[in-house]
Amino acid sequence: MTHKSLLIADARTKKRNAAERRFKAYGLSAIVVAILALVMLLVSVFGTGASAFRQTYATVTVPLPEDKLDKSGVRDIEVMKKVTTIGYTKLLNEGFENVVIASGIPTGLSRKDIGGMLSKEAAATIRDHILANPDLVGTEATLDLLMNGRIDGYFKGRVTLESAALDSNTSPEELALAQALKDAGIIHTKFNWAFLTNPDASDQRPEAAGLGVAILGSLYMMIVVLVTSLPIAVAASIYLEEFAPKNRWTDLIEVNISNLAAVPSIVYGILGLAIFINFMELNQSSPLVGGLVLSLMTLPRIIIPARAALKSVPPSIRDAALGVGASKMQSVFHHVLPLAAPGILTGVIIGLGQALGETAPLLLIGMVAFVREYPAAYTPDAGLFGEASTALPVQVYNWTQRADPGFVERASGAIITLLIFLLVMNAVAIFLRRKFERRW
Amino acid sequence: MKDINMQNPKISAKNVQVYYGDNHAIKDVNVEIADKTVTAFIGPSGCGKSTFLRCLNRMNDTIDICRVTGEIKIDDEDIYDAKVDPVQLRAKVGMVFQKPNPFPKSIYDNVAYGPKIHGLARNKAELDEIVEKALRKAALWNEAKDRLNSPGTGLSGGQQQRLCIARAIATAPEVLLMDEPCSALDPIATAQVEELIDELRQSYSVVIVTHSMQQAARVSQKTAFFHLGNLVEYDDTTKIFTNPDDPRTESYISGRIG
Amino acid sequence: MYATSLAQFTKDTRHMLPMYVPLLATLLLAVAGYYFAAKRAAASAGGDIRKLAALPSQYGLFTALSVIVPTLAALIVGLGFGGLSGALPLVLLSVAGLGFLVSLYKVSPAFRARTHAETWIKIILIAASVIAILTTVGIVFSMLFETRNFFSQYDWRAFFFSTEWSPNFRGNSALGIIPLLWGTLYISLIALTFAVPVGLFAAIYLSEYASRRTRSFAKPAIEILAGIPTIVYGLFALITVGPFLRDYFAQPMGFGDSASSVMTAGLVMGIMLIPFVSSLSDDIINAVPQAMRDGSLGLGATKSETIRQVVIPAALPGIVGAILLAASRAIGETMIVVLGAGAAARMSLNPFEAMTTVTVKIVSQLTGDTDFASPETLVAFALGLTLFVITLGLNVFALYIVRKYREQYE
Repeated sequence: MTHKSLLIADARTKKRNAAERRFKAYGLSAIVVAILALVMLLVSVFGTGASAFRQTYATVTVPLPEDKLDKSGVRDIEVMKKVTTIGYTKLLNEGFENVVIASGIPTGLSRKDIGGMLSKEAAATIRDHILANPDLVGTEATLDLLMNGRIDGYFKGRVTLESAALDSNTSPEELALAQALKDAGIIHTKFNWAFLTNPDASDQRPEAAGLGVAILGSLYMMIVVLVTSLPIAVAASIYLEEFAPKNRWTDLIEVNISNLAAVPSIVYGILGLAIFINFMELNQSSPLVGGLVLSLMTLPRIIIPARAALKSVPPSIRDAALGVGASKMQSVFHHVLPLAAPGILTGVIIGLGQALGETAPLLLIGMVAFVREYPAAYTPDAGLFGEASTALPVQVYNWTQRADPGFVERASGAIITLLIFLLVMNAVAIFLRRKFERRW
Repeated sequence: MKDINMQNPKISAKNVQVYYGDNHAIKDVNVEIADKTVTAFIGPSGCGKSTFLRCLNRMNDTIDICRVTGEIKIDDEDIYDAKVDPVQLRAKVGMVFQKPNPFPKSIYDNVAYGPKIHGLARNKAELDEIVEKALRKAALWNEAKDRLNSPGTGLSGGQQQRLCIARAIATAPEVLLMDEPCSALDPIATAQVEELIDELRQSYSVVIVTHSMQQAARVSQKTAFFHLGNLVEYDDTTKIFTNPDDPRTESYISGRIG
Repeated sequence: MYATSLAQFTKDTRHMLPMYVPLLATLLLAVAGYYFAAKRAAASAGGDIRKLAALPSQYGLFTALSVIVPTLAALIVGLGFGGLSGALPLVLLSVAGLGFLVSLYKVSPAFRARTHAETWIKIILIAASVIAILTTVGIVFSMLFETRNFFSQYDWRAFFFSTEWSPNFRGNSALGIIPLLWGTLYISLIALTFAVPVGLFAAIYLSEYASRRTRSFAKPAIEILAGIPTIVYGLFALITVGPFLRDYFAQPMGFGDSASSVMTAGLVMGIMLIPFVSSLSDDIINAVPQAMRDGSLGLGATKSETIRQVVIPAALPGIVGAILLAASRAIGETMIVVLGAGAAARMSLNPFEAMTTVTVKIVSQLTGDTDFASPETLVAFALGLTLFVITLGLNVFALYIVRKYREQYE
């Protein structure tokens, strides 16, 4: 190159700089694509699911005549239980029609149709209320009762007058009446705590479906995972990091662990099915089995960050302990482990979060069924955590398989709940890490 | 400091300051570097000689917190002018680093990399010629000619450094910056490289940073002594090492500091 | 055989009482042993603990562990053999008692209790580590066992080579894995085609170009994608991506009218894999020494030329390894394909058609109503074993490539 002026950009350099700018733009657009995908995902989920946290109710005064509910007059619960929800339904329909008539809103609907606007769950609600307060018999009760899924969907925008005309479960007249009742203040939507506490509901009652059983089941499972995987993972990490000699066996264990961390979760489900259910004959669909399966899956995911945390403690600490005459084990348990504890804890919380969101292995151990009762933590029959249950992510999957479109909202709402739990757990993990992190 | 008035200096630096964040690393350096000469920068560790060297090809641009002020002209053009593209500058000013850093490519590809990106060869034949010339000039041709396609990382330490020198001169630079090029080499390789530097000065203006005073005395014609970010003394090499003007230079070369 | 005796054993209430007795007794013996051993140790030195070879509490710990560890070991061995039904509680009690007595007998001033206690602890630690191997053994053994049952009822050649999958609960099913593998590989291919360029370029930008502020915001944002459970992605595919692709691409272009499709599942899986590829690539790119970049920049190369011609080639083995690991993850994924790809076992080139995968069928065959011992259910184990072998192979191969080519610039 002869004396070319540096102040003049030659053509080739200009082209190369243009290529540079293009390359940089590719990188930036990749990041934008990733973040855009995240945003679309969250918007989609929150958009469909946020409405699950509001529910439509009607304030109804229900007549409770003694001759229909407790002819004997004794108020014996066992006798009163003989009156089924069908009996209460008739009273409900009457009460709701009275409310409509009293409000002065004109409608051509029959009492049965008006009553049909209430959720099928409402009869069970009032029955449980009376059985808990038998003295109310002979008077009347004013309760907030659930409206059915179509009415609820109307107020949430899912159901329109056009779609109602084609729908066998509702009609435009019902929607019109509902609107009028809402304007009159008889129907209202309020925050849906019941979504978090109710058990699952059958196919026809998406409005009554809740996460109560699922949350409880997930909680039990997390307890099992914590109690089994934490000690074993920490013990294994300590051995591998501090005591294991560098030989073939240790290599084998380490290779095993990194392979296990990458095994698809569904394989753990198969393992659980074969060993815990078929061989050990533990109860299908129980939080115990679910927890054990998730523990096996979580073990390597805790061991790897735990080892990193132990490794990050500088050798000088160990040397100092040995220098005053502590044994190797004392130096590890008294000095290294406490210093590595924050990192290990962070790994445990993140591992638990991953276990909370796992679905596939739980499907294989039988959690697909519809579970209506809250599982008890211990029964003599089923043992510890042995009652059939479901879990949050499995509940989501179940609801996606239901025909009623009201369940789409429920599934998305469940996901919002799941994501909030995960957010809290990760925030705690990050907080702990920041608070206790040491820079060596 | 005695003012050296040079006719047509290759590089001339005026009032150069360099800041690393809040740290004032180079304090008001003025120096003129002659063409076809070997100029050595000497001084104790951390005195700023490598930092100043890296200003000459704007390698400090790659460090976010580094700020350079003042004027550095090569061939009478301010290289920090906004119109100057460092990419073009670095084809004109080559650099050899302390630890040999050949690319994980073949010997041929290592040397051909510079000419290829700057478009210096119109076809393969020309590229072959450039590579051979560079390897010859770096005294590596005879050892490399039969293994041009073998990996550059397979060479010995001294050979790798000569490969890096060949790589740098393949872009036909006019200035060659060398940042402690022999500090990672054994004595025999060091001797080979020093011999090479002596030949190179016939074609290029060579600036070499070295922490070895003996090396500076052996290979350079002019020497600049840096201390704590200041250019303390700049003169002919023989003068610096036999009869320096500044007492700090005297302390350094007699081993009392450094 | 073991199962029935063990199941009967634990469910038979006559044995329930004896079973909890030895376990409770072990606990009590351990606590009592701690107390007694510590006392005895202090007493044996006449009250001056400096004469002892270990602290009294360490004598206590030794006795407690001497009761617990051998008993636990005996329990595990006993459960494994199953058939010791009536004798097991007795065995456990005697082991615990023996540990109690022998360790108490050993208490003396010269006895280095701490060392021996630490030996017990070490045994516990080693046992915990061995569980990792046991898990792998369990996985392989359980699947092998049932797969063998399956192949005794269904020809293995038909399984591996038949291109038809149509299970029939009445019998005479066609259970060929090929259509399932097709769906799995097709979806994974689409997922990788999307995730690898995006993840790689995102990693390049974050490590080479981004300012610290951009990095502090973008990196956690991408990490959030990694923390989202796959059921969420599955729902996203089902309610948003599927209908969107169908309404705006498949139907107008005449490719089909199914919301569940290879494209749906592939795209969503690609989104899921972006942070996976990105963070692995980030580590690999950062591992390339800065000296190499300096060498290239010093020659007057632009940053993109340096990245394209020096950094990426140097990082290539690691990047290939990352792609293989991402492929392994894609192949093993379940919920996204269950909700996004459909259940139709089909071999087609049209990505907008519904095709199913190995993982979907594992779920459907094991959660269906068919009898457990029938080939239609057992095939799930064969599928699972195949899946395990494929993903294991990919993981091992990825590790091998990274190890072998890492020597290049060490």
